[in-house]
Amino acid sequence: MTTHKPQGSARRRSAVAMTAAAALVLAACGNGDDGNGDGGNGTADNGGAEAAGGGTVSAYNCEPQNLMPSNSTEVCGSWVLEQLFTGLTQVDYETYEAVPGVATDWESNEDQTEWTFTLGEDWTFHNGDPIDANTFVETFNWVVDPDNAQQNTSFYDVIVGYEDVVNGDAEELAGVTATDDYTLEFELNEPFSPLPMMLSYTGFYPMPAEAFEDPESFEQAPVGNGRYQMDGEWEHDVQIAVDRYEDWPGEDPGVPERIEWQIYNDIETAYLDVQAGTLDIMDSVPPNRLSTMEADFGDNQTMFDTSSFTYMGLPLYQEEFQDKDVRHALSMAIDRQLIIDNIFDGAQVPAGNIIPPMLPSAREDACDYCDFDPEAAAELYEEADGPSELTIYFNSGAGHEDWVEAVSNQWQEHLGIENISFESLEFAQYLDLHDNQEVTGPFRLGWVLSYPSPQYAMEPIYTTGKSSNYADFSNEEFDNLIAEANAADPEEADSIYQEAEDILLEEMPVIPMFFQSQGVVHSDRIQHDSVQMDPRTFLRVEQLVVNEE
Amino acid sequence: MTGYIIRRMLQFIPVVIAATLIVYAMVFLMPGDPIRALSGDRPMSPQVLETLREQYNLNDPFLVQYAKYMWGVFTAGDFGTTFQGRPVLDIIQQGLPITVTLALVALSFQIVIGVIAGVLAAVYKDSFLDRMVQVSLVIVVAVPTLAIGFLLQLTFGLNLEWFPIAGTREGLVSYVLPGITLGAVSTGIVARMLRSELVEALQSDYVRTATAKGMRRSRVVVRHGLRNSLIPVVTFLGADLATMLGGTVVVETIFNLTGLGGQIFRSIQAQENTVVVGIVTLFVLFYVVLNLVVDLLYAAIDPRIRYD
Repeated sequence: MTTHKPQGSARRRSAVAMTAAAALVLAACGNGDDGNGDGGNGTADNGGAEAAGGGTVSAYNCEPQNLMPSNSTEVCGSWVLEQLFTGLTQVDYETYEAVPGVATDWESNEDQTEWTFTLGEDWTFHNGDPIDANTFVETFNWVVDPDNAQQNTSFYDVIVGYEDVVNGDAEELAGVTATDDYTLEFELNEPFSPLPMMLSYTGFYPMPAEAFEDPESFEQAPVGNGRYQMDGEWEHDVQIAVDRYEDWPGEDPGVPERIEWQIYNDIETAYLDVQAGTLDIMDSVPPNRLSTMEADFGDNQTMFDTSSFTYMGLPLYQEEFQDKDVRHALSMAIDRQLIIDNIFDGAQVPAGNIIPPMLPSAREDACDYCDFDPEAAAELYEEADGPSELTIYFNSGAGHEDWVEAVSNQWQEHLGIENISFESLEFAQYLDLHDNQEVTGPFRLGWVLSYPSPQYAMEPIYTTGKSSNYADFSNEEFDNLIAEANAADPEEADSIYQEAEDILLEEMPVIPMFFQSQGVVHSDRIQHDSVQMDPRTFLRVEQLVVNEE
Repeated sequence: MTGYIIRRMLQFIPVVIAATLIVYAMVFLMPGDPIRALSGDRPMSPQVLETLREQYNLNDPFLVQYAKYMWGVFTAGDFGTTFQGRPVLDIIQQGLPITVTLALVALSFQIVIGVIAGVLAAVYKDSFLDRMVQVSLVIVVAVPTLAIGFLLQLTFGLNLEWFPIAGTREGLVSYVLPGITLGAVSTGIVARMLRSELVEALQSDYVRTATAKGMRRSRVVVRHGLRNSLIPVVTFLGADLATMLGGTVVVETIFNLTGLGGQIFRSIQAQENTVVVGIVTLFVLFYVVLNLVVDLLYAAIDPRIRYD
C-alpha cells in the first residue's frame, strides 16, 4: 500500500477501507485452506499460494452487447469488462466504499467540486503501454466526443465542460486535467461527493490509443489494464476466454488462472450444463428452477440479494394520480410477500425502501405505506376517490406478466377497482410511450445500481427533469436535499440521503415492489465459500476458488 | 433442360427484390425506437441517440433507408452492421455452417428413419409392427418440438451422458440431439405419407405383374413400389427443409447452437433491420433454389416428367 498524505478535511476513506480489508484477509489466510473465503469484497489479497495456479473457471454468460467500456450499459458485457479493466477506483463491497484502483489516493476541496487523484506509477495496459494521468484525460475526452456516440457519456455530465463538448462547442472536457504524469484533477459543475465511487463504473475505465483508432476491432479483443487479459478474440455467441494478467499491480489479483465465459442464449440449457458438470457456475438460475434448485444442487447453490429494484411507477402527469392518498392506497393494497411466495419462489425481497437494503445507509422500516393493510388502503382509496378503472403498463417478454396480474388482482380485490386492463409492449415501444408521456396508469420499471451509492439510487430517477424520471416527479425539497447530500461530508451525507428517501416514501412517485435475489448454482469443482455476488448482480468471478482435482 | 434452369434462375431476381423490400418494411414498421431500447432503463444522452440514429440512417424515410441499404449491398457488397457494429456478413458466415449442418442432420434423420418406418409399416400392413410404427409416429407428431428437445436433453444428455446437452464443442456429435428434435415431426409425416403411398402402390397392377414374373419381394418393393411412392415424399421434404429453417429458431435456442435461426429471432427483437433482411433474403434464396432442385429431382425419379 502506498502511504497516504496527511489531509485537512480531505477524504481519506480509501486508507481506512484498505486497512480493514487487509486485516480481514490476514485472518482468512490464517485459516489455511479457507483461502480467500472471507473475501466477499473487491480487496481480498490472496497471498502467494493461490496467485500461482488457480485453475480454470467456466462461467455462464449472455452475449454482451459490446465490449467497449464507454459503451457498455448491461451486465453481460460490463461483467467481463470489469475483469479486463481497472478504473481509477474500485468498490469494496464489504464496506461499500471506494478503494484504490489505478488511483492510490484522492482528496477534494471543502465543497466537493474540485478533486485531485494521485495515480499509481506501475500501471500498464496488457500490451505494455504505460498508463498515466494523460491516458485518462484522452480516454474521457474521446468518450464524451459526440461523434463517437458512446452510451455511457451521460455519466460525465457532472464534469465542467461536458455540455460544451457534447454540443460540439469544445473538443475537450475543461474539467479534467493532468497536472503532472500521475496527478489527475477534476473540476465539477456542482458538489459531488460520490465521485470516487462513480469513477469505479465501467464507463470510466482507461483505454489505450488503439481503442480510439478502430473501436470495432478493439472490442473484439479489448486490451485493458485489469486482472485478466483476453486470450484470443471474443467468439460471438460462443465464448470469451481470459487469462490472469500476472503483472497486474493491484492489491488483490484474480484467483482463477483462467476464466472462460460460455455464452448461452437459453438459461435453461446453461442450468442443465451446470448440472451435468460441463459448466462450472451460472449466476442467473431460471425462475422456474428456483424451487428445485436445492434438490438439484444440494450445497452447491445460494441466493444473493441484489440492488435490482422493481417498482410500479405512477404517471404523476395524469390527474388521477396526483393525490398522494391514492398512491398510498395502491401501495398498501399490495401483499408483496404473497406475490413473492407464489410467483417468484422467494427470489425477491419485498421493498420497503428506495435505497437498496444492503447499502449502509438503508433502513428497514422507513416506509409507512409499504406494508400490506387492505382495510386502511380501501378506506383511503374510497376517501381520495381513486380511479375505478386502471390500465397497467409493462414491457412484454421479460417475465412480468404473472406478478403484474397478481398486483391487479389484489387491487381489484382490496380497492374495489372494477376494471383493470393491461398494456404489454415491446421495450422500444414502451419507452416511446414514456417519452411522450402517454402512459395513463401504473407502470413497471426497474433500476440497478451501477455503483453502490444512495445518490445513484435516487438522483437519476426522481430529481426534477432527469431522463430516467418517468413518473415526472418534481419536488423542490427533495432536489435540494440531494444537492445538499452530494455536497456534504461523507459522514453526514448518508443521513441527508435518508431524509431525501423519506420524501420519496411519503410522496411515493413510485410504489416500491421488490429487490431481486438471484440464484447461483455451481459444480463440485468450485469451492462454495468463494462464491459471491455483489449488489450490481455481478458474480465475483475473479474470487472463485477451484477445488484441487 | 438448360434453358429451363436459366428461366427459373431469372425468376430469382424479382423474388429477392420483393422479399427484401417486404422484410425491410415489416421491420421498419415495428413500433418503437430500436436505438432507444439499446440502453434499457437508463436513457442515453440525446446527442448520442442522435448520432446513432444518423449513423444507421434511422432518420431517413423508409424508401431512402431501403435504397441506401440496397446500394451498399450491390456497389460494395456491404450488408450493413448490427447496432453494435458487427458486420452482418460476419454473423452469416458464423451461423450458416451451423444451421446447414443442423438441417442436414435433421434431414438425414428424416430420410433414414422415415423411409425405413414407412416401408416396414406398408409391407407388414395391419400387423403389430405396423400398429407400433403408427402409434409412435402419432406421438412424435403430437408432442411439441420444445418438449421433445428438453426430453432428449434430460435423458440422453444429463442422465445417460451419451450426447452433449448443448453447444457445438464436440463436433458432429453435438448435432445429434438437436437434429432429432428438429426432424422429429417431419419424420412422422414422411413415414405416414410413405406408408399410405406404398400400400396403394403395392396393390397396383404393375406390382402384381412384377411379383408374377417371379421377382424377389424386396426388389418388387424397392424398385417398383418405393420408386413410385417417393414423388410426394420428395416434394414434402423439399418444402420441409424450408419450414425447418423456422424450426431452427426454437431448436438452436434450446441447444445453444449459434446458427442463423436463433440469430434472426434476436435480431427481430432488437429491430436490427440489416441483420433480419440479410438472413431472411438468404433463406428466401435457399427456398427458391431448393424448389428448383426438387423439380429437377422429379425428372430423375419419374422418367415421364421432362423439362424443355
